[in-house]
Amino acid sequence: MTATHDHAHVEAYPEHFEPPPGTWRRLLFGPGLLRGAWMGALFFGLGTLLVLVLRWWWSWEPVWNTEVVLAVAAMTMAPIGFLAGIGSFDYWLHYIAGRPTRPEDHSGHGAQSWKDYFRVNTDHKVIGIQYIVTTFVFFAIGGLMAMFFRAELAQPGLQFVDSQTFNGLVSVHATLMIFLFIIPAFAGIANYAVPLMLGAPDMAFPRLNALSFWLLPIAGIMFVASFLAPGGAFGAGWTGYAPLAEGQPLGQTFFNMGVQWAGASSIMTALNFLVTIITMRAPGMTFWRMPLLVWANFTTSLLVVLATPFIAGSQFFVMFDRIMHTSFFTPEGGGYVLGYQHIFWFYSHPAVYIMMLPGFGIVSEVISTMSRKPIFGYRLMALSLIGILVLGFSVWAHHMFVAGMADWLRVPMMITTLLIAVPTGIKVFSWTATLWRGRIHLTTPMLFALGFVTMFVIGGLSGIYLGSVPIDIAASDTYFIVAHIHYVLFGGSVFTIFAGIYYWFPKMTGRMYDERLGKWHFWLTFVSFNVTFFPMHYVGLRGMPRRVFDYDEAFGDVNFVITVASFVLGASFVLFVYNMITSWVAGPVAGSNPWRAQTLEWQVSSPPPIFNFDEIPQVVAAPYEYGVAGARHAVMSPAREAQEATA
Amino acid sequence: MRKGIVQLAAIGVVIGVALTLVAVLLQWLPESASEEFDRIQGVYWFATIISIGIFSLVTAVVIFSVWKWRVPDDDDEDGPPIHGHTGLEILWTAVPAILVTAIGIVSAIVLARNGEAGTRPLEVQVIGQQFAWKFVYPDFDDLETGELVLPVGQETRFTMTALDVIHSFWVPNFGQKMDAVPGIETTILVTPDRTGDFAVVCAELCGLGHATMRASARVVTQEEFDAWVEEEQA
Repeated sequence: MTATHDHAHVEAYPEHFEPPPGTWRRLLFGPGLLRGAWMGALFFGLGTLLVLVLRWWWSWEPVWNTEVVLAVAAMTMAPIGFLAGIGSFDYWLHYIAGRPTRPEDHSGHGAQSWKDYFRVNTDHKVIGIQYIVTTFVFFAIGGLMAMFFRAELAQPGLQFVDSQTFNGLVSVHATLMIFLFIIPAFAGIANYAVPLMLGAPDMAFPRLNALSFWLLPIAGIMFVASFLAPGGAFGAGWTGYAPLAEGQPLGQTFFNMGVQWAGASSIMTALNFLVTIITMRAPGMTFWRMPLLVWANFTTSLLVVLATPFIAGSQFFVMFDRIMHTSFFTPEGGGYVLGYQHIFWFYSHPAVYIMMLPGFGIVSEVISTMSRKPIFGYRLMALSLIGILVLGFSVWAHHMFVAGMADWLRVPMMITTLLIAVPTGIKVFSWTATLWRGRIHLTTPMLFALGFVTMFVIGGLSGIYLGSVPIDIAASDTYFIVAHIHYVLFGGSVFTIFAGIYYWFPKMTGRMYDERLGKWHFWLTFVSFNVTFFPMHYVGLRGMPRRVFDYDEAFGDVNFVITVASFVLGASFVLFVYNMITSWVAGPVAGSNPWRAQTLEWQVSSPPPIFNFDEIPQVVAAPYEYGVAGARHAVMSPAREAQEATA
Repeated sequence: MRKGIVQLAAIGVVIGVALTLVAVLLQWLPESASEEFDRIQGVYWFATIISIGIFSLVTAVVIFSVWKWRVPDDDDEDGPPIHGHTGLEILWTAVPAILVTAIGIVSAIVLARNGEAGTRPLEVQVIGQQFAWKFVYPDFDDLETGELVLPVGQETRFTMTALDVIHSFWVPNFGQKMDAVPGIETTILVTPDRTGDFAVVCAELCGLGHATMRASARVVTQEEFDAWVEEEQA
């Protein structure tokens, strides 16, 4: 497809299809947030009616059951109505109904004004930014919750909140950070970067892409709204272990259903990435020429597609136990309590890699570009991702060493767990070898990438302690786990997200962020992160269990220090937000390739043209040929160059 | 380059020594009060030595590289096009594999030792219920207590279950922990090797009172234990 073709399609777009702009009919009946609102309300009403009629018909007492009404009407029907209202299904519904469709409709492509970010938009670049901004909003909410319960934990005993609220804060914090920040923030960055890196005009399924974004805010609002439920937010942890979760107040259903929406979003995006990466690579872009970010998202997407249905199942079973009186996990009815944990961790361990592999990809891009050297051992870097993918499915029960599962499972699971250190180690050593003799530009993304490498090593090593069954028996369910997971997910994933945002900021906005503020942000985050989380190893080993509002007096001083540091960590985020907003509005113009990178996204303007490439590029070599005289990754105008060559 | 290697090694040694001091001077682990925890602490130190080595190596290379090869922002040259080195790549695949295998073997041995019940262990049933622990001694007419009392040096087998949700039986000083799960029985062995008062802590989130679900564990001499049993049964 060429630029002239695209242009023709845009012109062929039938103008009469929409009601004339600005009228009340268009506002009310055209796709948009307003229609989303009333259709959401309408579907809520329909769902409520359905529940009431059915319950009355079967003479179930009481006819009004708040939990059932909420699960069906508010958490299933209303979101569908909302999605239909904003126009996510318009094309498909028109197609099904035999009405005229718009096969080459690009009206939803690109963003002319800020309002376009609040509409269903099929442009992967717009969707990428929608994802990133949304996820950072939830990052801020989840972070505030963390600061709130850190305030509670500054001293032993109860100060500010009651016990259920505390458990709710801890649970919602983790849930938001995992399902509404780390996983989708990576999806957002990849959404923006991957099609560009492949030389593709968009993702394979743009409408599906738009839909998968709009599922996210639904999930996020459900998690946060659980605080409004009678009895408070879900308080069984983000792990929601049965049977504790089954005895929780109503808020638990918000978790059960929220996970479904977030999970559906993940699966759709992952399918989209897989098809895009397999079928939409530019000519010459063989698998061995793909940038490592693409490789990382390829493996991540495989993990998501294979694993996510398991958490969906586990949460449905818990919800059925709660509202349909099944007994999947209740021993009284013959259920098997440990079954929950097996199913849950069969997703949630691979999820740890879902939350890490895209970060590996980002860091590979940043370190190679900023060291001005090819990535060291490119093929092994790609293969180690595959190694982690395969091993990642065989380690889930290491979360259950003290859960009372079959004894014989422990040693095999320990061995596979420890072996994951090998492909992960390969990556760490390759990054350091890429630095070696490079010409290192210590920009903000590079600082975050190097901060990641060192902090992630700490998280990986504490993972080895936990992988060893005897140590895990002592350290499991303590603050040592809290420290480990934050070194992996904050020092690991969040650092790479920051690296990625700073790295692609000039590409996304066309402007440069403030380097000085960026460095301040890094150092403040780096130091306060370590002061917050490193001492948690200590209190954990010494005997402080996790998820407690009250603890032994002996841990008071350390916890006070942790709380103070966590406030500094929170404050450092303000610097980031300020930098992003002011630079987006009025930063210096960045140019198309400020980092002199070789991957394809940097060979087009910043921000890129609406269909990314005026001409489909011809890929001719590997993506990181720094220092190779005359080397380039791709020919951007193959037709013209061919002409010039013959002329 | 020889000078560079020496500098790199110096950075690595400084980091390694600093970390070793932090590891040794701070009391990271609770004082062990069981034979099982003594063995676990052995694995802990083994893993710590390896961890300090690896962390020092990686950090030293990062710091050294940035210090040595950092260029000003406006520099527009590229580094040497080194694409890889098969020997090195094999090395850093094999060495970590050997190290983690070593940790795995040591762990498996300790796990097996810690799971060997002696000829005649003292049986204690542990029952977890929101938000209290109950201990039953079947050897002594199902004596029921809220305080765990154990004779020193006697291998004890805890068999546990829960009545409502999952709890986790943990005495930090024993280094052993096991979930008490409704519907099934789980076991763990502890051989206290020191007398004293310790805390029983619930380690698995079990609801509103989770943080306060504690009990006390008292390890006493065999004679004191016998006297205690007699007194409780009277």
